Amino acid sequence: MPLELQQNEESSLLCLEGLIDIACAAELKKLLIEALSGAKEVRVSLGKASGLDVTAVQLLRAAAREAKASGLEFALAGTMPEPVLKALGSAGFHEFPVSAGISQVSGVG
Amino acid sequence: MSTVGSVDQFRHSFCEEARDVLVDLESALLELNENRADAELVGRVFRGLHTLKGSGAMFGFDELAAFTHNLETAFDEVRNGRLAINSELIDLTLTALDRIRVLLEDNAESAAAEAGARAEILARVAQMIGAPKTVLSEGSPTQATSPAGAIRDWHIRFAPGADLMRRGADPFLLLRELGQMGGLSLRASMAALPPLAELDPERCYVCWEMVLATAASQDAIQDVFIFVDDCCELTIEPANPSEDRGPGELLKADATARALEEHRTEGGGRRTYDKADNASSLRVPAVKLDQFVNLVGELVTVQARMSELAARRDDPEVAEVSEEIERLTSALRENSMNIRMTPIRGTFEKFRRLVHDLARDLDKDVELTIEGADTELDKTVIDQLSDPLMHLIRNSMDHGIEPSSLRTARGKRSTATVHLSARHSGASVLIGVSDDGGGIDAEAVRKRAIEKGLVAADAPLTEREIFALLFQPGFSTAKQVTDVSGRGVGMDVVRQRVDSLRGTIDVASKPGLGTSVTLRLPLTLAIIDGLLVNVGEAYFVLPLAVTLECIELTRADVERANGKHVANVRGELIPYIRLRQYFGIASEPPAIEQIMVVETESGRYGFVVDEVLGDCQTVIKNLGRFYRHVQVVSGATILGNGRVALILDPERLVQEAVRTLAHGPRGRPVAVSGPGRKRDGP
Repeated sequence: MPLELQQNEESSLLCLEGLIDIACAAELKKLLIEALSGAKEVRVSLGKASGLDVTAVQLLRAAAREAKASGLEFALAGTMPEPVLKALGSAGFHEFPVSAGISQVSGVG
Repeated sequence: MSTVGSVDQFRHSFCEEARDVLVDLESALLELNENRADAELVGRVFRGLHTLKGSGAMFGFDELAAFTHNLETAFDEVRNGRLAINSELIDLTLTALDRIRVLLEDNAESAAAEAGARAEILARVAQMIGAPKTVLSEGSPTQATSPAGAIRDWHIRFAPGADLMRRGADPFLLLRELGQMGGLSLRASMAALPPLAELDPERCYVCWEMVLATAASQDAIQDVFIFVDDCCELTIEPANPSEDRGPGELLKADATARALEEHRTEGGGRRTYDKADNASSLRVPAVKLDQFVNLVGELVTVQARMSELAARRDDPEVAEVSEEIERLTSALRENSMNIRMTPIRGTFEKFRRLVHDLARDLDKDVELTIEGADTELDKTVIDQLSDPLMHLIRNSMDHGIEPSSLRTARGKRSTATVHLSARHSGASVLIGVSDDGGGIDAEAVRKRAIEKGLVAADAPLTEREIFALLFQPGFSTAKQVTDVSGRGVGMDVVRQRVDSLRGTIDVASKPGLGTSVTLRLPLTLAIIDGLLVNVGEAYFVLPLAVTLECIELTRADVERANGKHVANVRGELIPYIRLRQYFGIASEPPAIEQIMVVETESGRYGFVVDEVLGDCQTVIKNLGRFYRHVQVVSGATILGNGRVALILDPERLVQEAVRTLAHGPRGRPVAVSGPGRKRDGP
């Protein structure tokens, strides 16, 4: 499964693997809404992602904004693969994920 | 709409569009062959190749993109005056288009041979343009096209439209292509992003502000967006060198994005986003259109029942609503039929290549002229026209048109003409294939038909009847079988296909002057103008186009004919067929029956029915596979009272009835003679 949501009472961890693009955009939106509605903090792991298209970036940005407005913590867990960061940079998303309003924590990757 | 698993659908759409582009490219190349200095045609070829390359790369046809890139480079050289158009380049490019067609088919079996063929073409292209080497596999095509010249800065603002992502386009790939043209600094703005719950996950809300430093022209930059320009907002302006191009400038993107979003939501919806002219055309799968027409057909049926119910009730309010529904349904039906109508241009243009190649193979000088290419007819009819037209053109070029030397000796222009034409004639369309060749030798056709046992040696045949023999299975007067024609198969195919389209073929020929074949086809296969008749409880529809008149048949008339099924219509003897007898309908006939006189290829015949109920325009329903062998019925329709009416095929019915009733398998043997004043029937 490229998208997997693990939840407990306190936190939600959304693991994204492989190419996260328009083909799974609707599913990603659903899981993000689910993650935001059931926890105090949401972590997204992109350590195993091979690429993100614009739909994925938008959804993560919108989720981060929503979390902030609701007083939830929304952060990237672990590090992102360098090629993915580079690809996002050359598409104008410099300093992702910070530029998308997503803070970064270490630990899970 | 979900995009999951729809990549194949986009690839399929790309293939369809690419085939259209190939047809246009072929046509442009052949025109260019005639007018080699026409810069507009060179531009058309270049743009076609560029579209194939760009959209091919976008949909994962990397080999196609790389292959096309090299052809594009050649035409870029032509555009820039560094390479002259010659026959070799035209032929090479035409051959390359054939290879692209194969690439679209994605046939793994021929992959190795195809790769070799492509490499050979590319080597010859490289030789022509004097390039040291060509790109033979995946790569970054655009890099090589960046022309040398002064580098300047361009401001580019790119805001994808609502459907850009759904159409399979990826803005990141476009940005990458731009980046390959020079130095690109860019910033993405997400200011227009709606709240998560309202966000359409398959739409791009991001817009980009960019500065590109490149030697490429504005047209070249625009070309990067060529296949998404109908679903995005794009501005490309030369940057003022004195402007600050730092991050401050790019930060203006946020404000632009907000303004853009306001513009998008003006009028309360996102639909205002796309440019007004975006809606000028839309590609819809034919199957969806068929479903739509089918549903309209169902609606027409229900509406007819509604009208009948309303007529039975004495309620002015119900009658008013019923009339309104009838008016709207009628307009809807007309509209739905119009949607299926497409110009025949695409089919005609395809034959330019055929004529070009055949002329080369046969060593003849032939030009193709086209008339009435904008004539519209039902897509189903158009789809089935290619084969018959191809056989007619091949036949015409192989057997009709004389070699140039003979033409000159006969005092004719050495360049022969094949003329394709289309025009409307009532509810039919006339498609013509004519040539100025040697014409058909009617006597040779007759002799050959006698040899083949198709007609009796002493049969008196009119010229029209003789020419009709050309379409008999296996008939050929060709002295030798060539690669092109002469096996006597083609004309039979023409006949079968035209029959299946409910059409007719007319041949006219003058020895020494040429031949003209005219196909008369119905505008649409989905609807029929008919005459509703009944025999007892059974209802039938006869195509209005072939019905001539209706006459009464009394018992006294029957007695006067001494048991012969023949009616005297103003001195002409018309044989008739009793539908009651043919279909085995058990009820008693009324005292006065009606004969519907119809015109068929075998002459005039009458169908005896109980009553003629009136004309009707009905949507044809297929009878389904189970009844596919029942050839006398071309379909069925559902009447307002819920009953089914069979749509008769008079041509086949006459042939079949004459054959079966004469031998009496359905009842007692009856005498059926041929049409009056013509010849004796079977």
